Amino acid sequence: MAVARRFKHGVVRYDREKAYEGYTLFWQTGTKDAWLIDMLGRVVHRWRMPSNPGMDGVLLPNGNFLGSCQTVNYVEAGLPPGFSGLGGLLLEVDWDGNEVWRCDTPYMSHAFYPLDNGNIIYIYWGPDLRLQGDAAARVKGGLPGTEHNGKYIWGESLIEINRQGERVWEWRASEHLDPDIDVMCLLEYRTQWPYTNSVFVMPDGNVLVSMRFINTVAIVDKRSGDIVWRWGPGELGHQHDARMIDNGNILIFDNGAHRRTYGPSYSRVVEVNPKSNEIVWQYKANPPTDFYTATQGGEQRLPNGNTLICEALMGRLFEVTMEGELVWEFVNPIYGRQHHHGLVNSIFRAWRYGPDYPGLRGKELDPAKFYWTNEVYGRVVWNK
Amino acid sequence: MGELCGTSDGPAARVLEEGEREMNISMNLEESITKYDQSKTYIGYTLFAPIGGTDVWLIDMGGRVVWGWKMLYRPGCDAMLLPSGNLLYAGHVDGDGLASVEGSAGVVLEVDWRGNVIWKYEDEYLHHTFCRMDNGNSLVLKWIKTPDYIATKVKGGIPGTEPGGVLWSDCIQEVTRNGEVIWEWVAFEHLNPEVDAICPLCERTFWPGLNACSVLPDGNILTSFHRTHNVAIIDKSTGDVKWRWGLGEIAHQNAPSFLMNGNILIFDNGLHPHLYPMGFSRIVEVDPHSSEMVWAYEDSPRTNFYSSIMGSCQRLPNGNTLICEATGGRIFEITSGGSVVWEFLNPFFHESAIYGRNNMLSRAYRYGPDYEGLRGNTVEGAGFQPELQRKGGLGNRGARMPKDERAVRRRIDSLGY
Repeated sequence: MAVARRFKHGVVRYDREKAYEGYTLFWQTGTKDAWLIDMLGRVVHRWRMPSNPGMDGVLLPNGNFLGSCQTVNYVEAGLPPGFSGLGGLLLEVDWDGNEVWRCDTPYMSHAFYPLDNGNIIYIYWGPDLRLQGDAAARVKGGLPGTEHNGKYIWGESLIEINRQGERVWEWRASEHLDPDIDVMCLLEYRTQWPYTNSVFVMPDGNVLVSMRFINTVAIVDKRSGDIVWRWGPGELGHQHDARMIDNGNILIFDNGAHRRTYGPSYSRVVEVNPKSNEIVWQYKANPPTDFYTATQGGEQRLPNGNTLICEALMGRLFEVTMEGELVWEFVNPIYGRQHHHGLVNSIFRAWRYGPDYPGLRGKELDPAKFYWTNEVYGRVVWNK
Repeated sequence: MGELCGTSDGPAARVLEEGEREMNISMNLEESITKYDQSKTYIGYTLFAPIGGTDVWLIDMGGRVVWGWKMLYRPGCDAMLLPSGNLLYAGHVDGDGLASVEGSAGVVLEVDWRGNVIWKYEDEYLHHTFCRMDNGNSLVLKWIKTPDYIATKVKGGIPGTEPGGVLWSDCIQEVTRNGEVIWEWVAFEHLNPEVDAICPLCERTFWPGLNACSVLPDGNILTSFHRTHNVAIIDKSTGDVKWRWGLGEIAHQNAPSFLMNGNILIFDNGLHPHLYPMGFSRIVEVDPHSSEMVWAYEDSPRTNFYSSIMGSCQRLPNGNTLICEATGGRIFEITSGGSVVWEFLNPFFHESAIYGRNNMLSRAYRYGPDYEGLRGNTVEGAGFQPELQRKGGLGNRGARMPKDERAVRRRIDSLGY
């Protein structure tokens, strides 16, 4: 795998019997293109968006693509170092790329969650939520004296909007976090707290969030705003993408960056039972160092029990069984340019949709439509 | 071949026998040389010791094994070829306590070309590396206990994680051929527990965690404090830390070396950096007079070069740099402009409880054909048969063959693959 990710591109492994067959969606970092590929890595559809991703995009059950577009140039905007993943515009386009709906969402960051009623909850890192003075001094951890411009710690909220673009709910993190518990990683700048990077609405309506700088995944009570469950410090290292699965457990992408120990870096995907706070399943590579992305990344539990994993900075998507066997592996052959990382084939987040997914019903999914693209990028090199 | 060398507790080292050459070779990694631009490389032989095994390998530019030693111990961690043609090797002696910590050694061995033990120095607290001095003595690194009255003042680290309540400090010792210690530098006597703080995400196991030592032309000592993110120069006569650099710039670095131009070359691992960790390593060249970085190498994408632990870098006579990306099992050579002109993937895999099935190497060194230590020794590889040579062959890299493919082919042909 260490070799595959450097020297091979396309689908490098595919076990037809064990993989969950479907189509995989990803919006290539540093480009305007969101791609839908089949199990052989061939492009079957593409959406060209007006800007680079910021950062996620999903296929809705109605067949439309909903994505967060990056409209802010945050190098010029004077934002703190380490700020990343900003969006700015939520855009829904139909299968052919025609605009269906848009909403300006300045200072939106990383991720959003579309609710069944059409509303959307997104993560907001706004200047109006900056802490300073005593409020900033209460925040513990981080590298001393590294506040933005010497005084600010940027704050965050979750915002729910309806299809008219009106705010119908907001949850401000700093009002509900406990500075004595939610202590920042000691090696991060004190520029923002707590660096929320994923949002997921659970079946009971409460909201599951991942907060990177405090190595914590938490459940927010939607009505009271209270944090009713926390897990992660000591276990997680700057995790991403917390989501509840059908059995009530929580899947987390544990990046392992700034992990509290000295040793080889590795990422893992963990399944945690929120009742017992125990890890009931995890995937680590062998050797562990073969699967590592310091930032970004995500996972998805598939209907057959497999897990699709996005090793973001390596541009590698792969599917593992519950036993940890690798049954499908794709190394992104498409490169884009991103200000933080330079030339990259990285992928923030990827989604697998089964052929019976409503959003794919009646759609033309013929790789021949992308003959030249597939000739250039889609060479199948798996050998099973 | 395969002569055994005598010690009371059995052979400490010997030359590899023919039947052993296929052991631990990955069956799924068919390529080891993945890039070779003959016109731009510094041609020579490369020495390395996979950390999971007990073999030390010398390969040529085609990735063919031309010589090998079988040691009694796993590496712990360094192995280098001396100008005398002998191999100096830090061996990992199994045991409890600190011996189970990666990087621990326990013995430093000097063996000749055929594996006979020439010199041996044992101490259970030896670790990482050594330096053979011009006068024939050796510098070695040794863990020692920090006295409690100092240990309690040392800042940083995860509170309460001292193993068995002990915070281990370090000393550098100069040892003669007879095993006498004639000079010693004790870290805790010269560091400030308030200032030289342990990385806050590390256990309070080591302070400051030495992982390098070498002698500068003026006789002073270049070393690296990897738990406090500093590279340092120690005044040999007074013991004072004359220069230190790194905190905030590099993270858990390895293998600093002094260059002919007066600069210092460092492997910046990039584990536990300040600010946003991106998961990449760098090689940095620092001018110790100005404490400024004058050259740096990182890959593009940067994440393609990353070893969170171990690793080494060596500036070659033609200005290129040989890099050992330890956890990736990759040794590669870059020009000063950063293009990769030679690349080798270690095909020797081992099982390890901590690292899994891996091909890690801690360090690698390149020796030109004119290197004194190679003079008069057999390095044409005639004794090593085709099975192994195939492992060292140029593999099929699919759509991305090197630009100079024909040159590589010619070279491979001339080597008789």
